[in-house]
Amino acid sequence: MMITRRSAIILAGSGLAPSWLARAATAGDKPSKPKILVAIFQRGAADGLNIVAPFTEKRYAELRPTIAIAAPGGQFSGIDLDGRFALHPQLQPLKALWDTKQLAIIHAAGSPDPSRSHFDAQDFMESGTPGQSSSDGWLNRALSPAAPQTSPIRAIALGSALPRTLRGTRAAIAVNDAQQFQMGDQDSAGILERMYARTPSADLGRAGSDAFAAIKTIRTINQQTYTPAGGAQYFQGGELGRGLQQIARLIKADAGVEAAFAEMGGWDHHGNEAGQMATQLGLFSRAIAAFAQDMGDRMEDIVLVTMSEFGRTAQENGDGGTDHGHGSVMMVLGGPVQGGKVYGKWPGLERDQLFEGRDLAVTTDYREVLSELVTRHMGQKNLAEVFPGYKPGAGLGLIREPLRS
Amino acid sequence: MKPLLLILALTQLPAATPFDTKLSKDQQILHSLNRLTFGPRPNDAEEVRRLGLEKWIDLQLHPERIPENPLLATRLQPLETLPLDIASILKDYPLVSAALATRYTPLTELLSPEQVRQVYSGTAEERRKTLDSLDAEKRQKVLAILAPPTLANTPDIQKEAEAARKSQQEERQKEFRRAMPPLSELLNADQMETATRGNKEQLADLFAFLDPSKRQQLASALPPKALATFPEMRRLGLRLKQPQQVVLGDLREAKVFRALYSSHQLEEVLVDFWFNHFNVSEAKPNDRLLLTSYERDAIRPHVLGHFKDLLLATARHPAMLYYLDNFQSISPNAFDIGPFAPTVDAMARQLSRQAHGINENYGRELMELHTLGVKGGYTQQDVVDVARAFTGWTIRLPATKPEFVFAGFMHDYNEKTVLGHKIPAGGGEQDGLQVIDILSHSPATARFISLKLAQRFVADEPPPALVDRMALTFTKTDGDLRAILATLFASPEFLSEGAFQAKMKSPLELVVSAVRALQGEVADTFTLVQKIADLGEPLYAKLEPTGYSNAAEAWLSTGSLLSRMNFATALASGQIPGVKLDSAALDAKDAAAVTKALLGGSASQQTQDAISGGLQSKPRTSRQLASLLLGSPDFQKK
Repeated sequence: MMITRRSAIILAGSGLAPSWLARAATAGDKPSKPKILVAIFQRGAADGLNIVAPFTEKRYAELRPTIAIAAPGGQFSGIDLDGRFALHPQLQPLKALWDTKQLAIIHAAGSPDPSRSHFDAQDFMESGTPGQSSSDGWLNRALSPAAPQTSPIRAIALGSALPRTLRGTRAAIAVNDAQQFQMGDQDSAGILERMYARTPSADLGRAGSDAFAAIKTIRTINQQTYTPAGGAQYFQGGELGRGLQQIARLIKADAGVEAAFAEMGGWDHHGNEAGQMATQLGLFSRAIAAFAQDMGDRMEDIVLVTMSEFGRTAQENGDGGTDHGHGSVMMVLGGPVQGGKVYGKWPGLERDQLFEGRDLAVTTDYREVLSELVTRHMGQKNLAEVFPGYKPGAGLGLIREPLRS
Repeated sequence: MKPLLLILALTQLPAATPFDTKLSKDQQILHSLNRLTFGPRPNDAEEVRRLGLEKWIDLQLHPERIPENPLLATRLQPLETLPLDIASILKDYPLVSAALATRYTPLTELLSPEQVRQVYSGTAEERRKTLDSLDAEKRQKVLAILAPPTLANTPDIQKEAEAARKSQQEERQKEFRRAMPPLSELLNADQMETATRGNKEQLADLFAFLDPSKRQQLASALPPKALATFPEMRRLGLRLKQPQQVVLGDLREAKVFRALYSSHQLEEVLVDFWFNHFNVSEAKPNDRLLLTSYERDAIRPHVLGHFKDLLLATARHPAMLYYLDNFQSISPNAFDIGPFAPTVDAMARQLSRQAHGINENYGRELMELHTLGVKGGYTQQDVVDVARAFTGWTIRLPATKPEFVFAGFMHDYNEKTVLGHKIPAGGGEQDGLQVIDILSHSPATARFISLKLAQRFVADEPPPALVDRMALTFTKTDGDLRAILATLFASPEFLSEGAFQAKMKSPLELVVSAVRALQGEVADTFTLVQKIADLGEPLYAKLEPTGYSNAAEAWLSTGSLLSRMNFATALASGQIPGVKLDSAALDAKDAAAVTKALLGGSASQQTQDAISGGLQSKPRTSRQLASLLLGSPDFQKK
């Protein structure tokens, strides 16, 4: 029997196998697969304090009398992670990934820029340059320069628009539905391709050439059959699930995907947060769990990272909701991740510990997290290009030492 | 002037930009049509030339002087919800139609108050006795309502209740199936074949054959897309299945009809612009049925009026009060008074917990998006104080006849400071009005609104000097939107090379301009609405308060470009239900005439070369040429 890392980890996690087995198992697996980074953006400022709840903090329940996540132990209460933090109950589908140490959490993470404008903060975060927006995005800059063998679909976003995260000089495509990504009229396709190849409008020309190159690759992929592995139930993950399924399909076709972007809106809960959060997180966790399930052993080469433009006020407002705040929470998942741990310095929730006396402070710059993924997972050495002007710290140790020889 | 000084003066002039180069007369007309309308129809340029460009622009700025196209009224007439007030819409277009709604009889209608007490909180004996006194049917009904924990001390009754609940549920499912049977029960095998695979005539025959109640059931059993060619049947089906979607559908279909057919094109462009500026969304369930009134009563009357009136109308409309949560923003001290004071009893404590503070959402977006702009110089403290000023601006009768009301008990009466202006304590409703006044007279607002208009009508990055002049008009005329637009349209920058073909069409603009260019006859806009959504702009559904982007990069991507090209092919080959093309007239035109009709001039050299090279060896039809031109880079710009 071939022991894959996944099965080895499950054995290791269950206490049935020595921990070295998990590591040894990685050495034999197909070593030349490209490394893939999947970024998930939670648009609308997700409330980190109710996604991963600091349930031992006395102030937590006091600040949030109607919406705090109950301490683990009861019905509808949080899922204990480490005796200090608890997952929202609707994140149960992610618990297995935590237990097998494929899920790491970075709390009080975010952008150092104090903006509480959704629009600006999303722009800054996606640009990778807090306080200013640039025309290109950090994930585009994290890709290596194009080589003859790079795939036209190396960088993909799900949706009808290309998000700023993926805009830039490297080819990147936006796909609404890969099944529909084709020209209806083959006779016209060649003529239109030539028109767009020569148009003086640079932006249209770029989009056109990227589209026609991608059409050809995706046409071959669409001819292959695809069934989600392990009974993965993407449909339970709503729009995000649908998006991740499209990404999964392209990854499993070995089409050369290196970076992918998916997003989920609807996190701006100024009122009735408890109900909305439960629905949102239910979809969020099921989508991600389905993706991990479907990817199986491929997770060894994949890292997923989640982020949101800022967090929300520590104190709930008058309507069982929260207003725009500062620090939030990030998740990093995947085979190469040193998970099962809540990273980051916890700033506390006392008034003098809160940012401007009201919001969770940011103790980990989101670029600290992304820098590590970009350098240690994607192998991009030129960090100054990805995050101009940013000097990363020592690193959190989110990514395991590669053990291949 | 000495020669040396002259040279110095010349070298200090800024370098000439494309915004300094004037367009030719023909280009000016084409450009103005592209920007002030949803796209030129083949004869529009001639009409503008006859009238004179200045005169035509002036008329567009005064739509009341242009007779409206009578065809528009005919097309809007079947969209019955457009003229209704909010109360009628709420009453007649519920989430679930009356025919399908399950009616629950409350316990209080089945039992006397004493009996309710006995079954609920009485002893096991009392409950048994009361239940035994009921007839079998009533007993079943009562049992089905009782919550299982209530019956914990009578396990046998608990079990019986569970069975009652189950059989009631099954009964309801049966009722639902009777009211809305699936296709297989409604039709025989032959009819099924027709309903799912038949052509338009066969489907029409089938509908005509059925009796009216079955007709509606069939209409609601088929997905709306299957009824793309049957507007009346689609409406009938939705009224039974999803009445709210009728309201939303009317609004969307009307928007596209107006863009296609209204003679008041600039006014329609502005309604689209200002709705988007003060965005609200059907994605917020409370807002869905209020959008008709919001656009008609708060946006439309003010698009050529004064900014302050527009701002106030949006601030007070229930759609905005819901959308940015102001309806529930309340002074933290509101429940310290009288019966609500938190020490009285558990109930009051519960109430005060549920509502104990301000909600910053409206205060922030009001400044960031509606007035000052994100760089408009406000602070977090301003956000808090603006939110406090608007406490009490809420909605009365939200469930039946929602309208604005100032609720004094929710208001924070303490002093506020907004952008350095003191708002004294004790103000009440006046506080919010004063904030509207401060914001609409701020120079930052004059600049931000001018910038957004210039981005819409001139270029994604408009020349700052033009924005400054528009802002000056804003300040001098107290925010007269017509005057600001007049400054813009009369500016050299507007009619310059820098503005010409510089904007990317939004999905709405692309779809409507293509149909207008082809002079399609549109009887139904359902499918066009779907196409606009597929291209990335689902109408009235932008969840975020930013609205849709005004800039090219948001609309430009591989996926959307492909969808645009595919739409062009589908439209030109007559595959869009609801749109009829005069193909004989199109085929009669030669290539140059087709190009002139669709692009208002000639195609770019690159587009011409690609077409002539590609079509060399094949028979060239006007339809194929049209599909290539509508999919070309030239047609994506305006």
